[in-house]
Amino acid sequence: MEALKVSSQPFRHLIRFATSSTSAARRTRVVLVRCSSSSSSTATATAGRNRRSSSSSSTSDKDAVRAIRLGKVEELRSKGLEPYAYKWDRTHSANQLQDMYRHLGNGEESNSESDHVSIAGRIVARRAFGKLAFLTLRDDSGTIQLYCEKERLVNDQFDQLKSLVDIGDILGARGSIKRTEKGELSVYVTSFAILTKSLLPLPDKYHGLTDVDKRYRQRYVDMIANPEVADIFRKRAKIVSEIRKTVESLGFIEVETPVLQGAAGGAEARPFVTYHNSLGRDLYLRIATELHLKRMLVGGFEKVYEIGRIFRNEGLSTRHNPEFTTIEMYEAYSDYQSMMNMAEEIVTRCALAVHGKLSIDYQGVEIRLERPWRRETMHNLVKEATGIDFHGLGNDLQAAKEVTLRDLGIDLDNKDKSSIEACPSVGQLLNELFEIFVEPKLLQPTFVLDYPIEISPLAKPHRRHAGLTERFELFICGRELGNAFSELTDPMDQRGRLEEQVRQHNEKKAAATETNCAEEKTNENEDNSYEVTLDDDFLTALEYGMPPASGMGIGIDRLVMLLTNSASIRDVIAFPVLKIQQ
Amino acid sequence: MEGSVDGKAKVSNAATDSSTSEETLSKNARKKELKNKQKEEERRLKEEEKAKKIPRVRNLQPLMMKIWTQQYKSIPDQYKLSFFSGHLYYNVKPPAFILPWFFLQQYYENRLKYLAAQKATGGEPYPHKFPVSMSVVEYIDKYGGLNNGEHLEDVTVNLAGRIMSKRSSSSKLFFYDLHGTGAKVQVMADASKSDMNEAEFSSFHSNVKRGDIVGVKGFPGKTKRGELSIFPKSFIVLSHCLHMMPRQKAKGASDDGHLKKLEEWVPGSVRNPETYVLKDQETRYRQRYLDLMLNTEVRLIFKTRARIISYVRSFLDNLDFLEVETPMMNMIAGGAAARPFVTHHNELNMRLFMRIAPELYLKQLVVGELGRVYEIGKQFRNEGIDLTHNPEFTTCEFYMAFADYYDLMELTEKMLSGMVKELTGGYKIKYHANGLDKDPIEIDFTPPFRRIDMIEELEKMANLNIPKDLSSDEANKYLKDACMKLEIKCPPPETTARLLDKLVGHFLEETCVNPTYIINHPEIMSPLAKWHRNKPGLTERFELFINKHELCNAYTELNDPVVQRQRFAEQLKDRQSGDDEAMALDETFCMALEYGLPPTGGWGMGIDRLTMLLTDSQNIKEVLLFPAMKPQDEPSAKELSAMLN
Repeated sequence: MEALKVSSQPFRHLIRFATSSTSAARRTRVVLVRCSSSSSSTATATAGRNRRSSSSSSTSDKDAVRAIRLGKVEELRSKGLEPYAYKWDRTHSANQLQDMYRHLGNGEESNSESDHVSIAGRIVARRAFGKLAFLTLRDDSGTIQLYCEKERLVNDQFDQLKSLVDIGDILGARGSIKRTEKGELSVYVTSFAILTKSLLPLPDKYHGLTDVDKRYRQRYVDMIANPEVADIFRKRAKIVSEIRKTVESLGFIEVETPVLQGAAGGAEARPFVTYHNSLGRDLYLRIATELHLKRMLVGGFEKVYEIGRIFRNEGLSTRHNPEFTTIEMYEAYSDYQSMMNMAEEIVTRCALAVHGKLSIDYQGVEIRLERPWRRETMHNLVKEATGIDFHGLGNDLQAAKEVTLRDLGIDLDNKDKSSIEACPSVGQLLNELFEIFVEPKLLQPTFVLDYPIEISPLAKPHRRHAGLTERFELFICGRELGNAFSELTDPMDQRGRLEEQVRQHNEKKAAATETNCAEEKTNENEDNSYEVTLDDDFLTALEYGMPPASGMGIGIDRLVMLLTNSASIRDVIAFPVLKIQQ
Repeated sequence: MEGSVDGKAKVSNAATDSSTSEETLSKNARKKELKNKQKEEERRLKEEEKAKKIPRVRNLQPLMMKIWTQQYKSIPDQYKLSFFSGHLYYNVKPPAFILPWFFLQQYYENRLKYLAAQKATGGEPYPHKFPVSMSVVEYIDKYGGLNNGEHLEDVTVNLAGRIMSKRSSSSKLFFYDLHGTGAKVQVMADASKSDMNEAEFSSFHSNVKRGDIVGVKGFPGKTKRGELSIFPKSFIVLSHCLHMMPRQKAKGASDDGHLKKLEEWVPGSVRNPETYVLKDQETRYRQRYLDLMLNTEVRLIFKTRARIISYVRSFLDNLDFLEVETPMMNMIAGGAAARPFVTHHNELNMRLFMRIAPELYLKQLVVGELGRVYEIGKQFRNEGIDLTHNPEFTTCEFYMAFADYYDLMELTEKMLSGMVKELTGGYKIKYHANGLDKDPIEIDFTPPFRRIDMIEELEKMANLNIPKDLSSDEANKYLKDACMKLEIKCPPPETTARLLDKLVGHFLEETCVNPTYIINHPEIMSPLAKWHRNKPGLTERFELFINKHELCNAYTELNDPVVQRQRFAEQLKDRQSGDDEAMALDETFCMALEYGLPPTGGWGMGIDRLTMLLTDSQNIKEVLLFPAMKPQDEPSAKELSAMLN
């Protein structure tokens, strides 16, 4: 149905625009278009008034262009040419040629047997003169010019080139190599084939960059218009592969643990719920891989990791996408101290792989990744920022709140004040102050050590300081990048802490009134309306004995943001979740 | 890639989204619900209280009971008796039906008491760190060459691992098997070499249990009988096993005297889970850690799995493919034909589907100038669970611009034969295709693989003459009659695609034991594949079958947007006629094609199935660490007390 509409309806436009475009070409003799097809430029010219306000190709423009190009598809077929070819044998990529013929002088041609090359890619620009046409072809690796001379081309291919090839088409071309007088390395084309006829005009760079929503919704358009975008994903692949190389060289084994779980544990977050028809039960999408990876330690794997997708049913922001990628790794017989070294190793190796240096720019701030990174306890950092020494405050929550509000009252807005008031323990209060006063300032890489036990239900108690845990978080650019601890191995202690977590959650859920000290703050009561259940299987596993171990999670999206200088998580996820389009 | 249309069980009711209904509850309703819950909770507590009054069955976890009952079977009688004789207050043997979990419950409680006592005296039963100086494997490599009776008393080594066997010849001499990183070594704890005095020594070691994780600091040496051992000066328990570990029924001195790496199984060779220490499948899959601890081969299955994935990854990386990640949650579940999981995003108030295939997104990236991309990741299908299906499974899909399906067939041969060669040392593997009681078959991965043309071969094998226009009613009728005549069942709807699939399953797939490509599927079966360049009505597609199961599915990608839309429209027709595995239209994807997808070859492979082949696994659960299982029904407190009285 849909298909019929497309192929028959816009035929009327075809004739009108086809004529206008040829007459325009005749008048000016030179059609110069950059990154936008010839037919689309005429089309937009007709709809010129809307140009600034609407997107580069409004619906009617698109339909018009599509109609013209569908006409060309038919014309090609009528000539016995297939506009959607089956394959093309390439001998080189654009970049390989640029490299190989680096030394070819201006105006020179290389035309021996070995210089007969074949390339393929998308046409992104075109200039046509009487018997000469220049096309810019872009492939995976880069761009190269196609130098098309009527005399050189076989049969009537030059006419085809002029009438049937549009910007956006994917072309295969064969020929020799020539550098133009102006110094542009070119393939001196003897024959070409349209491999894929594009039906829609490419957006021009201006709109490609500004229409943010469209960039994410139609990522491919963004990538065609802005080659830098594809670069981010190349870097992302490089980073993930570097992480893998690093941990595998240290003997870690990659495993896969389930996404669909009977109980979502290992973190505090609202999970996605789904329903399995044949089992007849609700399942949760994992919010962390932790509890299953620890089972592997119990099973005798000593070094395991998983790079995988995590799902949290939370709002969108420049730092949050409902699905995101982490690496979690667990190592038996090590503790959180050695995990700090691991974090440094991973991040610096990735930085070197992407930048070749350790001093990088992030949104105008110079980040220095040279090791070792600062390691400081949460207590000291809060003291440094606020002057309040929590060591001296003991366990008296009321007193601690009074001191806090007395000393810092002026610097706090009402929201902060009420969240401080709502803190149910000294540990949570300390963490609240840390988040308000310290976190945003931790631009250079910093390990924040020894978190309060109240907010670390899976971490081992500190070997020297009661009330604290052996835990660190890694901060760079004011953002949490990693989280690690000496793992809690005592099953009784673990059961108690998880039960406490469930109890607290249910209390909050029942109360469901004020905002609270939990990690994620939204003013909606909805926030806590989900179920938190105890993962009894996990506790049973611990009862079989888990070796002393440390574990770490690193947010890969955030690491990629840092290393590609991207402001939003949406820039590093190929297809981010977006609000429903109005 | 599109899954084979293999008529998996259909469930008639659509998945409902449970969270939406929750959403609509008013605050009051929620409060009421909460109250009800509280009441229920109180009732439950009372019942539990009652159950608690039953003598000596405290804190009994029903789930644990079930597990214990399963495990109890594997405990030899002599251990049960020796356990009971140690408890004076139990001079009467409890009734047999109570025995299993009662016995294990006792063991568990005694361990808890022991730990509580340790904590009470200021001990830390779970130390933070033990500095391991080498792994057990490294230890064996380094000291395996010592002479019998040779001791290196001036060397100090720190080893850690799990105690899997304990023997004592006196209160001054204990022998342990220490397992770590898939190898084991003997620990010979001799009071005279220990830092402790004799009394301390014997009381300490009497509390070291099988299953405990320990750290041993000592020197290497070999016993006179040639067993590589470590002779501890100090010995520390790092983590406790609170449950009695299932153990092998007396198989005599199963340890053949020598230490060794326990891992002797190699990929491509046969395996027999019926000889495992822990045989019970439920326990093995539900408590994979026990499976890994007790059945040392299992660890190698998952190592093999990791090696398979890493081979695929490096194979593609070497061809300049780029690994990418596409969404697992979409507004439309496209790219294959299967029932998706549904979920709901609260804040956006948006219904989302778990992906059933990454295909449509990966092709968008190829449109976006990434010419060679791949993704190794989970797919989700809301289907029944059986020997070859798990609701989540792992696939690799790759897309290669300017290549066609012929290129991909060559690439597949290269990848698979290369992988089998690297993992197994040759091209031939053994596989128990007909059950463990029958001889294994041999599967030969020597390239090139056989290619059979689907329709041609089917006509030949089944002696048919199928009308050329497969989308016609005539063809449909012909195939219906053929199925009837040949007694091949096709549950409704009897669409041409499904009829053909059944026939192919019966006549062709059955012949595909060694790797075989079935090629050139009809257009009606392959909505995303490109029409064949010289065979009308067919597509340029292949499926690779090994041991009669589909492993890969690939095609020259359909990149003509007009034709693609037509194909989706035809799928819609099938959907309307009741085939709910027909594909849905994805407008964003079609739009992407209009910007121009280069000629592209696309390919998908099931990682789980490949792992099954190379690990002689007949059940997909063997190759998934935590397979989906039915919820275990817990006996209620009532049932419990009924069982006890």
